[in-house]
Amino acid sequence: MTDYKWVTNGDTGVTILFSQPISEALSRRIIGLAKACEQQFPEQLIQVIPAYQSLTLCYLPSKISYQSLISQLEHLLEEPDRSDNTVSQKIVIPVCYAKEFAPDLQSLSQITKLSEQEIIRKHTEGEYLVHMLGFSPGFLYLGGLPCELTCPRKATPDLRVPAGSVGIGGAQTGIYPQNSPGGWQIIGRTPISLFDVKQQQPCIAQPLDTVIFEAISVSEFHHLSAISQNSTGQS
Amino acid sequence: MSIEVTKAGMQTSIQDLGRQGLMHQGIATSGAMDTLSMQVANKLIGNPTNHPVLEICLVGPTLKFTQAMSIVICGATFELTVVNNKGSQKMANNQLIQIQVGDKLVFGKRRQGARAYLAFAAKLAIPEVLNSYSTHFLAKFGGLNGRQLKTGDVIELTDCQSPSPASAYVTAPLARSKLLASPFSGKYLLRCTTSVETEQFTPQQLQQFYATKYTVSSASNRMGLRLEGSALTELPAQNMTSSGLLPGSIQVPPDGLPIVSSVDGQTIGGYPRIANVISADLFALGQLIAGDQINFIQVNIKQAHEMLDSQHTWLNRF
Repeated sequence: MTDYKWVTNGDTGVTILFSQPISEALSRRIIGLAKACEQQFPEQLIQVIPAYQSLTLCYLPSKISYQSLISQLEHLLEEPDRSDNTVSQKIVIPVCYAKEFAPDLQSLSQITKLSEQEIIRKHTEGEYLVHMLGFSPGFLYLGGLPCELTCPRKATPDLRVPAGSVGIGGAQTGIYPQNSPGGWQIIGRTPISLFDVKQQQPCIAQPLDTVIFEAISVSEFHHLSAISQNSTGQS
Repeated sequence: MSIEVTKAGMQTSIQDLGRQGLMHQGIATSGAMDTLSMQVANKLIGNPTNHPVLEICLVGPTLKFTQAMSIVICGATFELTVVNNKGSQKMANNQLIQIQVGDKLVFGKRRQGARAYLAFAAKLAIPEVLNSYSTHFLAKFGGLNGRQLKTGDVIELTDCQSPSPASAYVTAPLARSKLLASPFSGKYLLRCTTSVETEQFTPQQLQQFYATKYTVSSASNRMGLRLEGSALTELPAQNMTSSGLLPGSIQVPPDGLPIVSSVDGQTIGGYPRIANVISADLFALGQLIAGDQINFIQVNIKQAHEMLDSQHTWLNRF
């Protein structure tokens, strides 16, 4: 029985949708399929975008016909398990949860009925799986937020959330890589950059990596922030 | 060898055809919004089609040239004047303009369209970032220091192709194609195919979408075009999980008013998509301005590919 279907995503896109719930196993399957597609269609595909329960492919109709792409994809999907089982990295992201970086920690405490210390403890105890990257450069979609920390997004998004801000919105936690508008409850900030084009690998993590948050003090934040700015040359 | 920015304009930036293959890192393609005008400009001057150009949006710049070179301007039409100590001369789009040392090019009143593209017969003396010269505004990289041009900026160039003195100000009418004759009327028919969530909309909602005359909102930019018109109601559940969002996707957020994603758009989206603008029509998104009117019409994938193919054929004729 097939547990997927493909749908057209415009005239140069195909999205394969999986019916299973979000899980590490499904992400491993999707990343494995993404890598297989990149190998099989190096010239034909210009984008391969994994997500929680889908894989989106953007193809060049001048290089491969829609019918041919679909029939070859069907073959790939019917093949035995292609799950990506490479051992992933564990990435420790230092976060300062002090008041000056955590404007919404107090209101989150009221929403969750947990003390601020309990919120920080639970947030730093979690191990978060990187399901995918997207939205903006270096943004990590993380799974594994303790359910007690689930909270609604803000009714009115903030106009400017500083880069590095760590937030919770719904059942997700994440870090804003750039200054941007945002609707999540902000509970801390990391001094390190999540995206640096000067690096060989500009994003700090890749899908299937594990992220751990480590609480740091304000002085450690400023120390690491200075190092990070020197190495990236950003102001 | 350089171009000095005497006046920056509203949003003048360095763009090429963008970065492909990095959406899975959250990196939108960036690049020229109207890739057709941009490529024609490069073709007319003899550059490769992916050569970086200046994208000039709504209010144009004034540029001073410290080196003789040929340029071509395509896309949106502005009142164009070349000013020097001998006087001033009016210029036009789609023609080779021979610039002399010390000339100033003034973009005056905008007439039609939103974005003009200035191609130059020279190389940019700035590094490519992630295989492209395109400016990525959000993450601040590419182009000139990852941002739009500011008054006082100097764009360093190499390998300028200087015109012979005799040909100064001789404008060659290179472009005679009817397709280049100012197509930016303010009324557009954008062709669409189905998208990932199209099936979740009711036949009535789809009918309403294709029957509505939408107006481009002033809250539009290179990330996306926001539309005003009769809002769709009783939308599909918004709890769908996020998936890859391609340029041209038409998302319908809870307010029922469609947003058309463009070159700087987010790479993953969570609103249901009712349709996608076909690839052959994406260039037009770069020429829409607030108040322009849009209707959508549905075509199938085969037709969309034929239209893209004939556009490539048309472009390759130059």
